[in-house]
Amino acid sequence: MSGQVPTPSMTPTGTGAAAIVKAAPAGAVVVAPVGDTGRAWRIRIAYFFLIAYALLMFLPFGWTVITSFKTLEDSVRLTIVPQPFTTAAWEYALNNLQPNIVQMFFNSFAIAIAVTITNVVLGSFAGYAFARLRFPGRGILFLLVLATLMIPDQLRMIPIYAIFNGIGFNKGVLQMVSIVVVLAISASSVFLLRQYFLTIPKDLEEAARIDGAGHWTTFLRVMLPLASPAIAAVTILQFQGTWNGFFWPFVLIHDQNLWTLPLGLTEFRLVGGFGTNWPPLMATVVLATVPILVLYMFFQRYFVEGIAASGVKG
Amino acid sequence: MTAASARRPSKVASKRVGERQEALAGYALIAVPMLLFLVLNIGSIVYAAFISLWKWNIRTGPVTFLGLNNYANALKDPIFQAAVTNTVYYTAIWVPLTMALGLFLAVIVNQKIRGRTFFRGAFYFPAIASSAAISTIWIFIMNPFGLFNQIRGILGLNPLFSLIGFGANQDWLGDYHTAMNGIIILNAWTTSGTFMIFYLASLQAIPHEVYEAAAIDGAGAWDTFRRITFPLLRPGHFFVATVGVIGGLQLFDQAVQIGNVDGAPANSLMTLVLYLYNAAFKRLQYGSAAAAGVVLFLIIFAATLIQRRLFEGREPATA
Repeated sequence: MSGQVPTPSMTPTGTGAAAIVKAAPAGAVVVAPVGDTGRAWRIRIAYFFLIAYALLMFLPFGWTVITSFKTLEDSVRLTIVPQPFTTAAWEYALNNLQPNIVQMFFNSFAIAIAVTITNVVLGSFAGYAFARLRFPGRGILFLLVLATLMIPDQLRMIPIYAIFNGIGFNKGVLQMVSIVVVLAISASSVFLLRQYFLTIPKDLEEAARIDGAGHWTTFLRVMLPLASPAIAAVTILQFQGTWNGFFWPFVLIHDQNLWTLPLGLTEFRLVGGFGTNWPPLMATVVLATVPILVLYMFFQRYFVEGIAASGVKG
Repeated sequence: MTAASARRPSKVASKRVGERQEALAGYALIAVPMLLFLVLNIGSIVYAAFISLWKWNIRTGPVTFLGLNNYANALKDPIFQAAVTNTVYYTAIWVPLTMALGLFLAVIVNQKIRGRTFFRGAFYFPAIASSAAISTIWIFIMNPFGLFNQIRGILGLNPLFSLIGFGANQDWLGDYHTAMNGIIILNAWTTSGTFMIFYLASLQAIPHEVYEAAAIDGAGAWDTFRRITFPLLRPGHFFVATVGVIGGLQLFDQAVQIGNVDGAPANSLMTLVLYLYNAAFKRLQYGSAAAAGVVLFLIIFAATLIQRRLFEGREPATA
């Protein structure tokens, strides 16, 4: 197409040149590329790496989706179109897992939602107090909170296991409750919210105070709504982290019907007998990842900002 | 007169009341989170340190006092030694590798190029999936008849691989020579995007004037990177390295998901945390498990202190 159009402005060779054409005033005919061929080449090389690396990022997931529509014999073949195309693996994953996949979805969801809510509520309580209210011991207590970032979960494992065993939280639904209690508040949530509250101008609070609002009303009606970007970041981080979490469910959940998705996925492969039955395994992988994928597509900004701001989830 | 003199002390009093109310509000707001931090974090370190000195029963508590014997026994245990070696090996390779990848991506994505938002999103993409999902995909791709072995066959790379001793159907994650390296590559893949984001924050803190000055002096792209960008990123390097080392020393998920709890094949995936897990839940030696936990904490604490030292006197951390 482009070869048949005679106007020079319509035949940009690279994307860099295209950008220059776009930037030029409508009437002017720009001859691309403008002088600096070194830069044009650098951009081309950069694009090569960018696209290659992006492909590396997506390829395994793409392969996973394709495999989930294959038969077992076909799954070891290097073909992009499943031959024959079948949804048998999906039916297997949806109907034949023990516990049922819907049950595991529910378990993962319940724990993730509960942990997210406690982190948002307790995190904004503590974040606001540490940012805005003066009380004796504030500095040292905040340092104490930050210090917990250095404590590996594994060091806490034995004491926490002993504590929850001791109070009888190792039976039934209480196993899930114990996970929620362990993850109820993380230092990163407190830190992220405190940093955000610090950036909100004091005038707004003072105006509310003059109108006769107490600390609680000021916090709830004025400050909390203003902190919604930080709350969104904490929500995303905590939901994703808990949904994907492996360590605490692995340690604290003993009953099969309470398995979360990551736990189920691991156990099915290790001991559940469908060790190398790839297609249903891949269908389960897809199911376990889709909720986070949807969140990521809509709230990418908060994922990235939350990670950059808290910098604790490696 | 009387009204004014009556008002003054009440104003002071009301100010004091206000301060007290503010402090009370503060304590009320931090009460629950602080309680959780104190019991489940600070308290559990103390408890773990205590347990590590005993032969411990999970139901009845202390059985016999062992002093530092749990530590001594762990240090003598060849599996513990393997765990330390494997964990340190993993951290020593994975951290620099992922840092290099993250920095490379950050520098490219920081350019004014089209679609950079897309690329940033794409590079962070693997980090959103769970370790269980990622490990399962990796096992599938790296199995003897998996995607990786097939693609290298098609690309004609097999002679190259056989030169370094790997057959066409090498079982990458099932062979103790290659299993840990397999995890290193897997985690470099999933974490490079996270490190890129850390580095981007750091890159954007470098003032534009510095680059303008370099351009005026006629510095090329490579020179600018080597002489200016890289040294100015020092706070970023330390931040990423610390986060990486802390995360690396706690390697667990992928080791379990790929090698099960016994660190198969042949203890090559036995990590410190896995050792701790086995001591507790396989051998029911809670005392030695707690001791291994304390050792892990001390290593992490030391690494963090070293990093703090390196930060001192430098420009404040930007990431």
